[in-house]
Amino acid sequence: MTIQSLDIIHDEHRALAAMLSGLRAIATNIEAGRLKPDFDLLASMVEYIDKVPEKVHHPKEDQYLFAKLRLRSADALPVIERLEAEHRQGEARINALRAALASYRQQGEAGFADFHEAVKTYVEQEWKHMNAEERELFPLAKASLTAEDWAEIDAAFLANDNPWQGAAGEYEALFSRIVNLAPAPVGLGG
Amino acid sequence: MSNMLLEAKELHTYYGASHILHGIDFNIREGEGIALMGRNGMGKSTLIKSMLGIVRPKHGRVLVRGDDYTRSRTYQTAQQGIAYVPEGRGIFKSLSVRENLLMSARAGIDGRREWTFDRVMDTFPRLGERINNGGWQLSGGEQQMLTIGRALMTNPDLLILDEATEGLAPLIAMEIWRIVKEIRKTGIATVIVDKNHGAVTSICDRAMILVKGQVVFAGTSDEIRAQPELIQKHLGV
Repeated sequence: MTIQSLDIIHDEHRALAAMLSGLRAIATNIEAGRLKPDFDLLASMVEYIDKVPEKVHHPKEDQYLFAKLRLRSADALPVIERLEAEHRQGEARINALRAALASYRQQGEAGFADFHEAVKTYVEQEWKHMNAEERELFPLAKASLTAEDWAEIDAAFLANDNPWQGAAGEYEALFSRIVNLAPAPVGLGG
Repeated sequence: MSNMLLEAKELHTYYGASHILHGIDFNIREGEGIALMGRNGMGKSTLIKSMLGIVRPKHGRVLVRGDDYTRSRTYQTAQQGIAYVPEGRGIFKSLSVRENLLMSARAGIDGRREWTFDRVMDTFPRLGERINNGGWQLSGGEQQMLTIGRALMTNPDLLILDEATEGLAPLIAMEIWRIVKEIRKTGIATVIVDKNHGAVTSICDRAMILVKGQVVFAGTSDEIRAQPELIQKHLGV
């Protein structure tokens, strides 16, 4: 059986993983002295992570997938609660990253170490979170939810008018802008 | 079928004494998208090259729009509206971006010119910023965009992308997949050779997995996405 909502989540995880990987690579290159900081680019990357995964992706998971699974599987409850708690902490985590960037921008080189640490922490947490969803929660959901449940969840995901791209394609445009700004080999910028 | 674009029937291809393809059947119709997947060295690129006449199959047939092209030269197959974006890109590094694009411009086989220079610029705005740069001055991602843009300038009915995102950073790879998805919406049939099963199955209607020169899976993208154990077995690292 094809589960479109899980396919959508996988696709969205791929886009987020690419952005996180790019952010981490840029920070590593700054540390190594191979790149000078482009604060507009870094701010755009943080904006993307804030607007798309935190404000669009996680609420959709909570509202449809987690809510339905909560009704169907007692075994899934600890996993759901842990993932929902991580979603709730999402705003604080992105705020910490944004604050570290602002501080770096203000302090210059002296603020880099904290910013780099904030990037590493955020990326690691997101990787763990996505892995937990894909390796722990999805198998439980596949084992517990009925075809009718999936039809309902899929319909809700599909009716969401492709929020990953934004109603007017603004998130997609932001993604493309970041790819164009990011210096090679991370992005296409020169 | 009248809308069949490219077919391979019982293809056997050798490199010297090494038997690479073991009787492969393949077909793609107008407007379809097929993900051709498999680990390194499983015969994906050899299948493409065998169908395009770059490598000669020892047995079997290649049909383009129902006509036998098994022994045709590559340019004759390409003239049937088939554009190939090779692994390694193959841009002309001594030519500018503009020259790379214009040298391949031609009408499709029915005379249409939907993919103009301006449309390629709209699809790849980055190339517009590099229009007078030499091919040698482009980054890997820009070269890949140029190769796809150059293929589109031939107004193809079938676009074959061989490892289009190989060696590119994840951000660039995602951007290329986004653009390929847009190209697919225009109705161009597409064969995508890639190891990134998640990305390609989200773009293509059908999927095929090769293992040691044989087809071990052929079905819809939905079917393969519903079988993670099969993906793990044949594509997992």
